Amino acid sequence: MTDKPRLTALRLHKALYPIWKNDPGWKGVFTTVNNNTIGNMFILGATGMFLAGGILAMLIRAQLASPRSAFMGPEVYNQIFTMHGTIMMFLFAIPFFEALTVFLLPGMLGTRDLAFPRLSSYGFWCYMIGSTIMIVSLLAGVAPDGGWFMYPPLSSSAYSAGINTDIWLLGISFIEISAIGAAVEVVVTVLRYRAVGMSLDRLPIFAWYMLVVAVMILTAFPPMILGSLILELERAFDMPFFQAENGGDSLLWQHLFWLFGHPEVYIIFLPAAGVISMILPVMARTTLLGYGWVVAAAISLAVLSFGLWVHHMFTTGIPHMGLAFFSAVSTLVAVPTGVQIFAWIGTLWKGRPELHLPMLWILGFFVTFVMGGLTGVMVAMVPFDWQAHDTYFVVAHLHYVLIGGYVFPMIAGIYYWLPVLTGRKRFFRMGETAFWLVMVGFHGTFLLLHWAGLLGMRRRIDAVEEGSGWEFINLLASISGFVLAIGFGLVILDVAVNAFVAVRGRRNPWNAGTLEWATPIPGPAYNFASIPVVTSRYPLQDNPDLPVQIARGDGFLGEPFRKRRETLAVSVSHGEPEFITVMPRNTVVPFAMAVVTSIMFMAPVFKWYWLMFVSALGVTALALLWAWSGGSRRDEGLLDAGRGVSLPTHAEVSCPPGWWGSLFLLLANSVLFGSLLFGYAFLWTVAPNWPPLRILQADILEPVAAASGAVLASAGIRLADHAIRREGTSWVGLLVSLTGLAMLGAASITVFGGTTYNAHAYDATLWVIAGYVIFHAALAGLMTLFLLFRIRAGYVSARRCGDARVVRLWTDYATLAALLGLGAAWLPGWLS
Amino acid sequence: MTDILRISLPLTVWIATFSVVYGLEGVVCSDLWTAAGLSLGQGRAALVASWIVAIALQAMVLIGLRIPRYGSSLPWVQRVSTILACVALVATVWSLMPVVTTSLCL
Amino acid sequence: MVVGGSTPLALAGCEERLSVVHPAGPAADIIATLWWVMLTGAAAILLLVLVLLVLAFRRGEGPAGEAADSRRETVWIKGLGLGFTMAVLAALTVWGLWIGERLLPHPGPDVVAVEAEGRQWTWRFSYPNVPGLVTEGELHIPARRPVDVRITSADVIHSFWVPRLAGKLDAIPGHVNVLRIEASEPGEYAGLSAEFSGAGYRRHHFTVVAHDAAAWDAFLARETP
Repeated sequence: MTDKPRLTALRLHKALYPIWKNDPGWKGVFTTVNNNTIGNMFILGATGMFLAGGILAMLIRAQLASPRSAFMGPEVYNQIFTMHGTIMMFLFAIPFFEALTVFLLPGMLGTRDLAFPRLSSYGFWCYMIGSTIMIVSLLAGVAPDGGWFMYPPLSSSAYSAGINTDIWLLGISFIEISAIGAAVEVVVTVLRYRAVGMSLDRLPIFAWYMLVVAVMILTAFPPMILGSLILELERAFDMPFFQAENGGDSLLWQHLFWLFGHPEVYIIFLPAAGVISMILPVMARTTLLGYGWVVAAAISLAVLSFGLWVHHMFTTGIPHMGLAFFSAVSTLVAVPTGVQIFAWIGTLWKGRPELHLPMLWILGFFVTFVMGGLTGVMVAMVPFDWQAHDTYFVVAHLHYVLIGGYVFPMIAGIYYWLPVLTGRKRFFRMGETAFWLVMVGFHGTFLLLHWAGLLGMRRRIDAVEEGSGWEFINLLASISGFVLAIGFGLVILDVAVNAFVAVRGRRNPWNAGTLEWATPIPGPAYNFASIPVVTSRYPLQDNPDLPVQIARGDGFLGEPFRKRRETLAVSVSHGEPEFITVMPRNTVVPFAMAVVTSIMFMAPVFKWYWLMFVSALGVTALALLWAWSGGSRRDEGLLDAGRGVSLPTHAEVSCPPGWWGSLFLLLANSVLFGSLLFGYAFLWTVAPNWPPLRILQADILEPVAAASGAVLASAGIRLADHAIRREGTSWVGLLVSLTGLAMLGAASITVFGGTTYNAHAYDATLWVIAGYVIFHAALAGLMTLFLLFRIRAGYVSARRCGDARVVRLWTDYATLAALLGLGAAWLPGWLS
Repeated sequence: MTDILRISLPLTVWIATFSVVYGLEGVVCSDLWTAAGLSLGQGRAALVASWIVAIALQAMVLIGLRIPRYGSSLPWVQRVSTILACVALVATVWSLMPVVTTSLCL
Repeated sequence: MVVGGSTPLALAGCEERLSVVHPAGPAADIIATLWWVMLTGAAAILLLVLVLLVLAFRRGEGPAGEAADSRRETVWIKGLGLGFTMAVLAALTVWGLWIGERLLPHPGPDVVAVEAEGRQWTWRFSYPNVPGLVTEGELHIPARRPVDVRITSADVIHSFWVPRLAGKLDAIPGHVNVLRIEASEPGEYAGLSAEFSGAGYRRHHFTVVAHDAAAWDAFLARETP
């Protein structure tokens, strides 16, 4: 490098850094919206939860070490194993890969931050606050105790009277907000925020995996959130969704839970597979074999995983043909898994593998995960599952899959990306010792527990009984479990020591080809001094000078003369530059909103509904503040984006990032609504004590009001949208739309009049449907009013029409939901 | 965005038809079916018919994605969407095969 | 079933009363066979993967270039990834479903019906042929005859499981599920609830007593209190 580029790079850094840096001191922690900072804090938080879950695991193994070692009664033990599962699944596994993604994704894609930086902050704080609440409940002895899948009626108020279950239902729903937020963010980031020229076939493979995972989160979490919501409604207001004597069915919960719960397993596995697909080729000094096949396999795995939830319900008495469908898909899903495994082994054969520490962990993954996959195929066989279900065979299987298939690759990832995380190179060789301790400890713990399961050891029993035949296996498992814990402890210690003590390392120590290695290490707050242009999947291999070129501003947006946080949005397929996004500055609003949201979710635990109502108003106010602070009051026209290209800002395109975010949020929302309609149809066909005695009868008036409301709402917003784009009068259209939304709301309110919420599951379901429609009509109405004020304040013009497009999307959704929901509510009355 | 749709369409059609057939099996085995005066034999016929429709639909998706007019401008997307359409077709045949091989409502 | 005898005794101990791999009825027997076959197959596949992994480190770098990569895709992805896994899984799925079909409660002239109701934390059994006859914690059945257990619950979800006779089936409030069991020989078989049900879950046991024909008749003829 000659002196001139170095000087340019330094000047550019000095110009960019003040724009992108965090607030100084402690204030910065709460106001930061930077992906590197939030990623770091997120990784620390999730590691803390891994330790908490691990401590609970040690308590479990101590309890089960021998017939004489039980030191907890079932009341305590049930809380411990419930919280072990809950913490590991919800507070460790999902947040940890989200954390890694928040940290790594902008670097891999060659962009400066994630699509919605404030959402990163909000999601992170929701997670931290929610996790703290769960841990406090455990310390206070009121932790959930119904098992991590919370089957009613055991979790209904009749059999679980305390607040334990409420904490689970509301706390987990609260934390899932952060997952949904992160998912929206990842989808929009991967689709729109990339280096120029990074077409779909040049995405780093991890980005493909995360795109798939994010869409899965958006479609898998809503059924579970709905389930939690209606179980909480049953507990609080006696709405009998799951009570057989009033037309409810506890199987409905199992369907909703596993509709989430099985995709969840692949949501956890796929990020790990993405990590392996990134690391393994680098370790083998080659490129990934069958990139297109691996992407196709990831997508197949993702969608197929939505067709096998019933394999958790093989013993619930569903007819054999129904089970057979799901058994068939359960084996089929192993095919794309096999394709990935063999693509990876083929990659090793293709290259020249070297046995660095990350590779060691990946080998640990292969051995462990293949065993877990094979036992998974075994339990996919309906007859075998009838025996193995709810025994330690399943416990062992799921630990092979989750620890082997998730934790090991994640540790490989941490070691691999440690230079990016810390800017240092590893000097201390504790990692290898830790690896062998974990391997020996893991298989010592879980291998023979398969056998204990086949000898009849059920999961969740609170003690090992004398003469049961599995005392020795459990003693061995407990001793090995502690070896495993020491191993994991050493891994964390090793990473910590290396993070704080090791010497600074050089850039790209592994000679990797992807863009996260093109920035200085650790990455500066703005990640890239200019947005790079790429021509293949491995830009650093094509052009070793790329880091220098990026640093001296040869890419796009290489000159920050507008003194604001700018990054580039590209077209979805080809990665051509489309517009400039102006990113938000540091702000405390997301943190404040997370705090108020947590109060909103926790108030119902103590039946303080007034507080819930007040904090809901607070959340609304903060959300309006959030939305208000974006945008511009003047047209900027086309701006210089560097390299001779002029582009508009995001405020002046018809589909701004907010529109894209809304689109994917509505995808999740529609899955929630779809699950609600599924629940309604399910109860009608399967639940005992149907049909209900009294069915809602709609006159002619209500359907007419709903139909005309729908027409007015969608026509009105279209009218306003057109008016805005022609600089015309828009308020007429907005008022028409508001009238329409009010009529939809009024038509839905009549449903309450014709039913009694706690009389029958039918009535309860109709209340939730009507409530959903009213909520969305009100939300669209609020957004319409917001738009009116934005227009008055001068934020909207013919060029700056994005706000109107967002409101139009939500209004259309509210209208559609109203027509579907009310149609479903009135249909039985019309038929009878 | 249309490229993303090309990639997600085939298996989305699969999960939709799979859910419909599973739902239909639930209805056939419920009281509603007998209350409507229908027999289990008719239920089996309806299930087999919906399986055949599902296969035909997937075949149409596969052919549609191969037609240049609906295909992608990126050859890579063209290839991946074809692979996924084949996967979806196999998945439809495989996962719904029990409608002809398994006893109904037992 | 001969394979059951080859169980590593050091691990099994002498206690086999809850063991899936010591079947005492046709249903448990066929599932145990399925298990041993799957275990053998799984071990073979695991060995294959390990050998392929070790070889990857033992051999030098392969040829580079498009043609070599496309050959690799054919071998690794189309051959092993798709061909091999689909062949194995298709065979296994068909076999699994065929076994599942055989274990269903198909109607037959010889079938005996009994009823089981789970509650926290006992099991109550009744016998439709003898109205009023109820046993608590002890299910009586005839040996060598198929028995259909009609299972339900009075409170939360439980699961009826006699590992040596057959798989488990859940007891769900509002539903009646039918499980086919059969004991090959008269004797006592341990049963337990296999769905977590709260504080008393571990002790939620029962016993199945299988009688020979004479004892069964005597049991049914017993005066109800």
